[in-house]
Amino acid sequence: MTSYAHPEILVDTAWLEQHLDDPTIRLIESNEDLLLYDTGHIRNAVHIDWRSDLQDDDIRDYISPEKFAALCSRNGITAETTCVFYGDKSNWWATYALWAFRLFGHTKVKLLNGGRDKWKAEGRELTKEKGALALTEYPIPAKRHDDEIRAFFADTLAHSKAGKPLIDVRSPGEFKGEITHMPEYPQEGVLRGGHIPGASSVPWKTAVKEDGTFKTADELKAIYEEGKGLKADGDTVVYCRIGERSSHTWFVLTYLLGHSNVRNYDGSWTEWGNTVRAPIKKGS
Amino acid sequence: MAYPPKLQAIIDLFQSLPDVGKRENLVLFSEGTRSLEPKQGETFDLEDVRKDEECTDTVGVFLKVDNDNKRGVQFRMTLGPEVQTLTRAMSSILCKGLQGATPEEVLELESDFVPKIVGAELVRQRSQTTYYVLTRMKSACKVYLNRKRVQTGS
Repeated sequence: MTSYAHPEILVDTAWLEQHLDDPTIRLIESNEDLLLYDTGHIRNAVHIDWRSDLQDDDIRDYISPEKFAALCSRNGITAETTCVFYGDKSNWWATYALWAFRLFGHTKVKLLNGGRDKWKAEGRELTKEKGALALTEYPIPAKRHDDEIRAFFADTLAHSKAGKPLIDVRSPGEFKGEITHMPEYPQEGVLRGGHIPGASSVPWKTAVKEDGTFKTADELKAIYEEGKGLKADGDTVVYCRIGERSSHTWFVLTYLLGHSNVRNYDGSWTEWGNTVRAPIKKGS
Repeated sequence: MAYPPKLQAIIDLFQSLPDVGKRENLVLFSEGTRSLEPKQGETFDLEDVRKDEECTDTVGVFLKVDNDNKRGVQFRMTLGPEVQTLTRAMSSILCKGLQGATPEEVLELESDFVPKIVGAELVRQRSQTTYYVLTRMKSACKVYLNRKRVQTGS
């Protein structure tokens, strides 16, 4: 049985329980359910919201390096802190936040395998207590590493035209163009349905088991490498609707399978599907 | 416009709170949703249980209207386990706030009170979630009134 390329990136619930008071780690909860953290969270966890904390809505982009440093500072994070992410929905938003931290060059990151649901299902403790955090010194990152792990529209268009690997992680109905929004999110639809020409459909959920933990390395290789022909040294772009589900797949390819060049197109279908003259394909 | 008195009291409570207090009270309301469920033996004028695209799980709306004794509407609700916290909170707030209103009043209720309760920031971020429950309750009242018109021939 093969192991993950970077097994150290994952922690399990038992490990986390033993490290809740470890001063070298900062536990970060990121959810879709905006109030879920307030209903109870893992002790010593802070809450970082994918939208209000990490995004600059005025220009549809991520926050500046200055704001990232301030965010880390008020959450008790230093450049040396290992950030352990977890959240609802099999860690959709947790992997999104982790990816955003990587954009700012924070590489000391881990993910709780199975996320919040697994912790809760095992009957482990949740609390409403929010400890007071001392401000830390977090150096302002010199740059955002967009060029390494993020793809923009023009990059993705060139990728599509060159016939390079594109993975669409949305639901099959969205990929085929039968629906113009994610199931249960009709307000977040776009003008056109379909997918980027050349993209393969691998819904994000393919990578996880029923309990939200990741499938084995062999199972993941079968899905992405044998099934879709992705290569560890290849050049892959992943996308979904706004970049959150594709962060999950970016995490799988980058850390669990060790692919060296995977970029997340966070503009995703909400940008592509609405963009004038952007080519699309319908059907499977 | 004037809101039903019980809803006005909840609006007044939330408007007096800072954002942190709003969130804490929304969580408190969200934790009371078990008490919204129909009690054994209760009957209703309208039962509407369904899974909509707009919500992550099944939501049931149960409407009882007491026209004769002028006690107005009473809503009960069932919420599936995947329903999000904000939807739970709004369910609890609206079941309490609309109790005693007439179906017509519910139908005419403008949704501009929602930002006063949850705050503009949460509405901006989760607009669909915050308005969903009110839409379902209005829908139940509309169906009820249409049926009544058919029955009375008016």
